[in-house]
Amino acid sequence: MPRVTYVEHNGTKHEAEVPIGENVMRGALYNSVPGIVGECGGACSCATCHCYVDDRWASKVGGPASDIEKDLLQAVASPAKSTSRLSCQIVMTNDLDGLVVHLPEKQYD
Amino acid sequence: MTTAIDTYVQDPANPKPPNLPRAFGRDQVPRHVPPELVREFNLMSSPDFLAEPYEFMAAMHKTMPPIIYNVSPFGNSWLLMKHPDCLFVLRHAETFRNIDATPFPRDPNDYFFFIPQEIDPPNHRKYRNIVDPLFCPAGIKKLEGMIRQRAIDLIEGFAMQGECQFTTAFGRPFPVSIFLDVMGLPQDMRPTFVEWADGMIHGETAEERGAALAKAVAYLKSAIAEKRAKPDNGVISLIAHAAIDGRPLSEKEVFGFVCFLFIGGLDTVYATLNNIWLWLAQHPDRVQEIISRPKDIDDIVEELLRRFSVTFSGRFVSQDIEIRGVQIRKGERVITCLPAANFDPEVFPNPLEVNFDRPRKTILAFTVGVHSCMGGHLARMEVKVALQEWVKRISKFSLKPGEKITYKPGGVVGPNSVPLVW
Repeated sequence: MPRVTYVEHNGTKHEAEVPIGENVMRGALYNSVPGIVGECGGACSCATCHCYVDDRWASKVGGPASDIEKDLLQAVASPAKSTSRLSCQIVMTNDLDGLVVHLPEKQYD
Repeated sequence: MTTAIDTYVQDPANPKPPNLPRAFGRDQVPRHVPPELVREFNLMSSPDFLAEPYEFMAAMHKTMPPIIYNVSPFGNSWLLMKHPDCLFVLRHAETFRNIDATPFPRDPNDYFFFIPQEIDPPNHRKYRNIVDPLFCPAGIKKLEGMIRQRAIDLIEGFAMQGECQFTTAFGRPFPVSIFLDVMGLPQDMRPTFVEWADGMIHGETAEERGAALAKAVAYLKSAIAEKRAKPDNGVISLIAHAAIDGRPLSEKEVFGFVCFLFIGGLDTVYATLNNIWLWLAQHPDRVQEIISRPKDIDDIVEELLRRFSVTFSGRFVSQDIEIRGVQIRKGERVITCLPAANFDPEVFPNPLEVNFDRPRKTILAFTVGVHSCMGGHLARMEVKVALQEWVKRISKFSLKPGEKITYKPGGVVGPNSVPLVW
């Protein structure tokens, strides 16, 4: 099963197995990784699963999946960067095995 | 100061009543509460509220301070109505806890928790992990075909009649039939579940309401036993066979989980559908707008859910905190008034207007934070499919003339009847 490394804002690393087809937000929730809230449950409507894709993975993961995600990334609580994504919109594939995402300081004010 | 909440350890597998303090009536208003914030009324059954509940909750932003201390014979609590304040409370689960925060009474000698609603973090997430794969957007998407067929079957059953009592013809049976499908219960139980759900809410006396609940409870218990013996794909079976921390769920956990889904899933969607169809029947031009904008259906549903949110969410305060200069103390209770928060004019200008093009903001129909409604995506799908299939078959309808619309008292906002003609 592909693995994802979640790096908390304070540097703490969590490695979790995330099944193919599952999204990166749920991977965090199922493995009790702190720093991702996902309060809308993955409907792409709340911007509380913000993450920064590691620079080495940015091109493979790609940019926002939709205009809605793009809009929501304007509304995240921690500063948005060029590598910002909503983790509920990143779906695991074999290609993403080893993915590293960095978590922001906060998901809401 | 050490209080009951400091010494109480929540053990979901072996539930014990937390016996946390509750204040009742004017004599039990804490001394630190400024008198000008005290309001004595029972919101959900006051005549002003019941006359026009949504207009009442929108007006609260003009007629009351943003935080009030509500004195009521059913229990005193802080009432929050500002959108940012409600977000704050719901997003800080350590301070604003869910233990003992639901209004449903239970036998202290046979106590159980409503799961996952009453379970505080970190255990809460373990229960959500059991059911989230089914209730997340991708899981609900798989149910869409079944939900659509249920809607079509019901609507086609009365479309030729030219009239219906929406609440009983569709508002009630539609979510009940989906609940039965999702839980793995037979459809021939639908009339019985409809009767129980109605009795629990519309029963004239407390005895009647209690008797209806007791029948539902007995049935659910036997259904759990049956699913333990014969597993299937339904949610009852999933929960009955689930494990957390490497141990199977206890009988109390399984029951509290299934019972909560029953209570949580039926009346809220029912009331939401009734509210929306009441409004649609009075706004035929907006029905045509919905028909003409099929691609915008998700935005349409979201705005309708904002405008017609149906419930409230309570929390137990576990440490002193200040909001908007108001001191809220450990041991007190807060209620987030979700429909009022959705009408906060600073976040949703002209809040009573239904505007499908509003900028996207967090709506509070399903609360937010870790306890965000697990059925939210199912509810969204039910409303969406119901709208789509209804307007395809009944595109011009109105309220039956001469019938008065009244609202039912209680913790879920909705009309008693929605008589339609077309």
